[in-house]
Amino acid sequence: RGSRERFAFSSAVTTSSEETSSVVKVQEHGGQCEDAQCYIAMLESVACTIFMGRKSRTDPKAKSKLGRIKTPPPVDPVEMVVLKERFTEYSLILRALRLEFKEQVLRKKYEDEVGSAAEERTKREAEEHRSLMAWNDAENLRLRQIREQRVQKETEAAELKRREAVLLRQQELEDYIKEKERQILQLQVNLSVLCNNGMQPNKEEAKDFITMDNLDERIEEALDNPKNYNFAIDREGRVVKRTAIQ
Amino acid sequence: MPMKGRFPIRRTLEYLQKGEVVFKKSVKIMTVNYNTHGDLSEGARKFVFFNIPQIQYKNPWVQIMMFKNTTPSPFLRFYLDDGEQVLVDVEGKHHKEITHHVKKILGKPDHVLEAEALAKMELSNPANFGHKKYFLRECMSEVEGQVPHPGLVPLPKEMTGKYRAKLAATSDD
Repeated sequence: RGSRERFAFSSAVTTSSEETSSVVKVQEHGGQCEDAQCYIAMLESVACTIFMGRKSRTDPKAKSKLGRIKTPPPVDPVEMVVLKERFTEYSLILRALRLEFKEQVLRKKYEDEVGSAAEERTKREAEEHRSLMAWNDAENLRLRQIREQRVQKETEAAELKRREAVLLRQQELEDYIKEKERQILQLQVNLSVLCNNGMQPNKEEAKDFITMDNLDERIEEALDNPKNYNFAIDREGRVVKRTAIQ
Repeated sequence: MPMKGRFPIRRTLEYLQKGEVVFKKSVKIMTVNYNTHGDLSEGARKFVFFNIPQIQYKNPWVQIMMFKNTTPSPFLRFYLDDGEQVLVDVEGKHHKEITHHVKKILGKPDHVLEAEALAKMELSNPANFGHKKYFLRECMSEVEGQVPHPGLVPLPKEMTGKYRAKLAATSDD
């Protein structure tokens, strides 16, 4: 059968003679009634559905329809009058109902936006909004005060630190100068002593000198106490490990 | 490849639908100014990271913009319908506190949200039948326990029309 087949299921036959639709009345289960057989044959020639407008613009009229003169179904004037009356009444009622419902919906919408209750609602909401804004402002104020205090503390701390740093630097500078002066003084003293005394050494330092007299004693002393320089120290300067003397 | 990103739970529907803040109709734009470093902006950063997706999901028509490292302290700013601007200071606050604060001043209250949900439920009655797009079922045969569609499962002989007609004819005879 055709590529796209759709069987139209039309409801009860309409009595209006104006309708000239070509909707086919076919039983739902595809039963083989006489009408269906003719149309199945037609399907083979022109594909697609059994709906109105099956043929395209360029398709010619079928050969079986050559001498056909289409006559509309006969109209009974009495029946026509009665039907027309009934239809006008029916459509009037339906249209009235439809408009009634539409108006109901619109009225409801209008009431929601511009009604007696709506105004009160908007007023109440505005009031609530104002109170909430006031609460928010109070909250902001509280936070602002906390922030100001904190900023103040921070500036004070920074100021203190700056002053302390300045003092420290000054102190360090003074200490450095003093140390340097001391060293200079010591060097000067040494130099003067050397120049004045010539080859004569200092009294303190003379004690430690090795002379011909001390030589033997000193040698024995050195042999008895061997000095071990193989030791490790930690960051504090304390001795950590000593290797054995060899 | 299950989930992408640092906290991929933020991208799940379940998490987004749990968002509490639904803005009133008058709120149009929301702006968040915060800093990427610093202890005071921590709450604001967490708020942006966790709660902004929820808020945007619940309010798709509100424009939300983020500005980083423009001011020393973090804050939120809301621009309303009538030109009013609402400033919310969030310095040093926890992100949950911020959400509660925002919900209180500019969010729809709980009872209004519930009423809206109820009204929405009333629109779609699950007992109605119709097109799959709008209703649950199209035909009674789709319900469990009912007679299935004869196109899928053939009816028992006794229920078919032609058998009944035949029976009636033979019984008349």
